[in-house]
Amino acid sequence: MQETFKIVICGEGGQGVQSIAKIIAQAAFDQGKKAVYVPYFSTEKRGGVTEAFAQIGEAVPAYPKFAKADLWVALSQRAVERIHGYLKEGTEVVVNSYLVKDLSLIARWKPIEIDAGRIAKEEFRKPRVFNMVMMGAMVKRIPGLDKDRFEAALDHVFASKYAKDPSLKELNRNAFEKGYGLA
Amino acid sequence: MREKQFLMGNEVLARAARAAGATGMYGYPITPGSEVLLWWAKEAGSEQGKKDGLVFLQAEDEIGASFMLSGAALAGTKAFTVTAGPGNVLMQDAFSMCEAMRIPIVAYINQRGGPSTSTVIYSQSEVTLTAFGGNGNGYRVVYAPSDLQELYDYGIKAFNTAWKYRFPTFVLADGYQAKMMGEVEIYDPHDRGIVMASTERYLLEEKRDRPIDQVVPKPEVHIRVQDGVEYSCYRNCLNLEEETLQVNMEIKDAWDKAAPEIEEHETYGDDRAETLIVAFGIVGAASKQAVDQLGGKARLFRPITLRPFPSAALKKAVKGAKRIIVPESAIAQLSRLVKETLYGVTDAPMIEHHRPSIGINVDEIVDLVRKHHV
Amino acid sequence: MSDMTSPLAFPRCVRIESKPHLFCPGCGHPEVLKAFGFAVDDLGIQKQVAFGVDIGCSLLAFDFFNIDTIETHHGRTVPVMVGVKRGNPQAVSVAYVGDGGAYAIGLGSLLNAAIRDENILVIVVNNAVYAMTGGQEAPTTLPGTRTATTPYGADSHFVKGPDLVRHLNPGAWIGRGITTRQLELRRLMTEALAFVKEGKGFAFLEVLSPCTLSWGTIDDPHATFDILENRMAKAYRLGKF
Repeated sequence: MQETFKIVICGEGGQGVQSIAKIIAQAAFDQGKKAVYVPYFSTEKRGGVTEAFAQIGEAVPAYPKFAKADLWVALSQRAVERIHGYLKEGTEVVVNSYLVKDLSLIARWKPIEIDAGRIAKEEFRKPRVFNMVMMGAMVKRIPGLDKDRFEAALDHVFASKYAKDPSLKELNRNAFEKGYGLA
Repeated sequence: MREKQFLMGNEVLARAARAAGATGMYGYPITPGSEVLLWWAKEAGSEQGKKDGLVFLQAEDEIGASFMLSGAALAGTKAFTVTAGPGNVLMQDAFSMCEAMRIPIVAYINQRGGPSTSTVIYSQSEVTLTAFGGNGNGYRVVYAPSDLQELYDYGIKAFNTAWKYRFPTFVLADGYQAKMMGEVEIYDPHDRGIVMASTERYLLEEKRDRPIDQVVPKPEVHIRVQDGVEYSCYRNCLNLEEETLQVNMEIKDAWDKAAPEIEEHETYGDDRAETLIVAFGIVGAASKQAVDQLGGKARLFRPITLRPFPSAALKKAVKGAKRIIVPESAIAQLSRLVKETLYGVTDAPMIEHHRPSIGINVDEIVDLVRKHHV
Repeated sequence: MSDMTSPLAFPRCVRIESKPHLFCPGCGHPEVLKAFGFAVDDLGIQKQVAFGVDIGCSLLAFDFFNIDTIETHHGRTVPVMVGVKRGNPQAVSVAYVGDGGAYAIGLGSLLNAAIRDENILVIVVNNAVYAMTGGQEAPTTLPGTRTATTPYGADSHFVKGPDLVRHLNPGAWIGRGITTRQLELRRLMTEALAFVKEGKGFAFLEVLSPCTLSWGTIDDPHATFDILENRMAKAYRLGKF
């Protein structure tokens, strides 16, 4: 039985933490993987720190949480402390270095720094695509996920938005590719 | 119709009610259950929903919602609600009435942190409230699903149990199950040969399959015929101790007959394993994985009905166990039921792992078993 | 329409086997119930009515009629009858409650049923006191009145249900009757019930009614009449709203 790949992602409310995790889990399911996702939901929907958990594999457990992560993603400085306990030997660490400046707590995991906030703002002139950049980086690090099929899944998720604004599709795809290439 | 979908637990519950033929949802928003209301509101307003006469009512509070639910069941409809924590406390008022008059309501409970408002997240600490929350000696059925598929299966079954046996019936889930997304097989129960129990009105029924005083305790129902029409009057305020005794004993007799048919449990793992884990719900799911990882050291007994508690099966399962471990996200709510069942049955020591209102991971259970394994 | 010339002492839908009724001598409930029964007879809806009674003295009406009746919990009859109506749209759903059940413990449900314009009739029997539990203050107790829980006299606040409901629901049928005027009460009752039967929305009828036991007038009909007509009816406006 192949080990299940465990992902924790954490950031500020409004950064799209839940959407990223949900889309990754859904896309994995669409690709025939077993997947489960659970939010760490609380009353702090706005202005607080939020976490999400996803597991992907061949046989996914019914229990949605875990103690240690294989992929650990922090989108903000506060997130680093919040999910620090999920690190283990060999955890892959990805940070949004636009907001995570102090790496001292996680230095020994040699974090992959993605300056997603800056890239979104300066290269794409659309701050909101920052999470597409992060998603690209994450997907690169998840074993067994097919990139093209993942992008097709994205098109499916955002179909109604793309219908309204077709230029968004190109933008999202490019941002995703950018992140994928950086990780 | 068979399809595997990637769905959130709350949507699974809502779809289960729809598949079971429920027509009315009476609720009040509360985390972690609100998505059930959202789904039902949308469904009720859809073309098909209107055609099927679906009712959605967002009440003034949980008290209102639960009594509307009772009224809808009295009107002979399959109706349900969803609630959690403080809402579960408020609804006990109506649930108690449903116990007294054998009103077949269905309630999905998504346990959240406690006591009081606490967290909106998760716990297993509404076992006592959900199973024994009424005043007096009421009886009710409580199913405790352990994963998304069981949310669907028992979400459907609850309606059948409620209407077949005429006891208020609960599906006791939790915030994790409510909010997690995963794979579920959505099916039409008819395609699986599941026969759905028929319903009957308590008020304004023209033709009954069975006399209503064989359901509602006799001192509570007064039937008269005028001009060939039967009129039923129900009360739950009784004057005499003797009447109350009779009501209690009639309900108990019905329960004693039904309970053996309703009880459900699951055993998992090598039955020679020394350690017996007793866990329910999502901790039961985690325990199952722990059993896999422990390679023969432990086995699992998982009560699926917390009421009626599968006592005979647990007594059987405990044979040969050197120790019993009870992990639960509560303080002594499950373990109290286990102790009550096993009193005088076994000498095996019981290790109670109480983690109120916080999740219990697979690794934690594995460590626990290893620590006590000698 | 029914009037005082009806040859019947009781409406036809009354359950004769359960008489004499369970209320105290001089109680106003049987008068309200009779008016309701005559209205049911007039409209020919005995087989369509689902009658819900609250806890409090109103519970004693659970077998007053040959009408399908459900006794619920204190203050919870309105939501139960909302559920009955939603579950069975053919039902003429009626909640029969006291002033405590309507205006104290059940006020939230009552007002929200009015806001949602639920198609039910709510009958509130206002005797300005908690009678079943031994004469405690109600939200309707008039200023200065001594009750078991206001030994020095009640405060100056009291609730006017019909005004409150009107404020929330401009289209509802709303009225207030009094047991001392049977003809008018029957007329109001028939109108209210017809409104609900025809699916026009929320109907609300309050009835001023005596509690001779709590009022201490069980041996003095004149004093009962005097309180009703000269105190209650002066504080609480009668008629249609």
